[in-house]
Amino acid sequence: MISAWFGGMGAGIFAVLISTVLVDYFFLPPFYSFSVSTTAEAYFGAFVACALVASWLSSSKRESEVALREARDELEIRVSERTAELMKTQADLAHLSQVLSMGELTASIAHEINQPLTAVVTNGHACVEWLSANPPKFDKALQTAHKIIEDGTRAGAILGRIRALFKKEAIARDWVDINEVIQELTVFLRNEALRRGVSIREDLAPKLPKVMGDHVQLQQVVLNLIMNGFDAMDGGTSPKELAIRSGLEGANEIWVQVEDRGTGLGSEIADKIFDPFFTTKSQGIGMGLAISRTIIESHEGQLWASPRSAGTGAVFQFTLPIGPKGSA
Amino acid sequence: MIDSAPVVFVIDDDASVREAVKNLLESVGLSVQVFKSTEEFRQTSRPDAPSCLVLDVRLPGNNGLELQEALAKGGIAIPIIFITAHGDVPMASRALKAGAIEFLLKPFQKEDLLTAIHHGLERDQIKREEQAEVAALRSRFDNLTAREREVMHLVVAGLTNKEVGAQLGISEITTKMHRGQVMRKMQADSLAGLVRMAQKFLPENRR
Repeated sequence: MISAWFGGMGAGIFAVLISTVLVDYFFLPPFYSFSVSTTAEAYFGAFVACALVASWLSSSKRESEVALREARDELEIRVSERTAELMKTQADLAHLSQVLSMGELTASIAHEINQPLTAVVTNGHACVEWLSANPPKFDKALQTAHKIIEDGTRAGAILGRIRALFKKEAIARDWVDINEVIQELTVFLRNEALRRGVSIREDLAPKLPKVMGDHVQLQQVVLNLIMNGFDAMDGGTSPKELAIRSGLEGANEIWVQVEDRGTGLGSEIADKIFDPFFTTKSQGIGMGLAISRTIIESHEGQLWASPRSAGTGAVFQFTLPIGPKGSA
Repeated sequence: MIDSAPVVFVIDDDASVREAVKNLLESVGLSVQVFKSTEEFRQTSRPDAPSCLVLDVRLPGNNGLELQEALAKGGIAIPIIFITAHGDVPMASRALKAGAIEFLLKPFQKEDLLTAIHHGLERDQIKREEQAEVAALRSRFDNLTAREREVMHLVVAGLTNKEVGAQLGISEITTKMHRGQVMRKMQADSLAGLVRMAQKFLPENRR
């Protein structure tokens, strides 16, 4: 019975067989012999039958319990998988709404994807034309089909890049020293500043508390503001100086300012500069400030622009809360 | 004087779009020249053939609308078909007001592009024929003597030989002779024909 419990039906029957032989040898007259006397036959038969039934019962009960446990385990795995899926969907949705509420991501994707898409559609038409020519120009059609594959792949790669840019993993928060973010950039931009004849003045408050955020995204914002400042002073005659400052605002916020001595912001422009696709640059696509604002807002901060207090130029400033809900 | 095969110029900074448009136009038997910027287009000498321009609105450096303006100012009246990824109504109306043939949103359909291009080439062809005719008339006119030009001006203004002669202080016979020379040199077969010619190339006779 015990062996049937642990070993299943086969082991149970084997144990029954062994015990039957042993019972016959030791306990049934004639003792110490495998032969069975006629009087003991009835007892022996009953023992064998009992042993077999007990063994069978035991093994089948054991089997059903194992099956039950397996089913339960499987159910648990499925439930946890489904839960994880649901949580992921929810996170995706939350992330999506965070990004899409700004509207410009869609516009940005549309713009980026539209070029290869145009090429695909146009080449598709061309491919049909080459094939319907008389006689068909198979080599041209083949080349065109390859182009279609290339451009389709390119469109996919662009989507992937945009997705990576806004991936929620990318907003994996970490403690960020904003001064470090700025200094890394100014080192990196020294040559660019030299080339454009701009001097960069840093006025960073020492020992600023760290903020919770994404190092790379915050760097994108600061880089964008600095480059805008550079662009604003291109071609001007006044001394080109870009001031970058950081500081503490009250007990809950830090701020960063990027001040240029460019042409400044007219009141009609100031309202629009954060709109997607608004640009004053002939080469710009007008997404830099829109994306910057999205990033700062996703960090629960604010980004705005104002005219420089003295002389011409503009000041772009953003704030970031110190630690989430005062947990710094 | 005219290389007969029409040429389509394509300016787009995106290489794949540029090459795709070229491929499509070549597949229907058009000859194509592509440029990646308005500057490159302006620096390249273009064949003397009926042509039109497929122009992206958003371009590095000067954008398409600025090129349209600059070409118009420079007296280059090449028909333009604009293509753009995200055009708005003011942009389109500005382009069309300035004489663009068509304003197409990317991705565009083959028929729309080809119709616009054929329309553009046809318009350019007509314009070039007119220009050639004016140039021919102008050179015939240049072969007239000073007196013959005077006579022609007065004749097409509706004066009789007698009136012309009186005004220029010459005899009616001499006027008739000059007039005959004008008709011959200008290759006019009637007075009405001569008046039509004058309308085409003499500013004061334009309507």
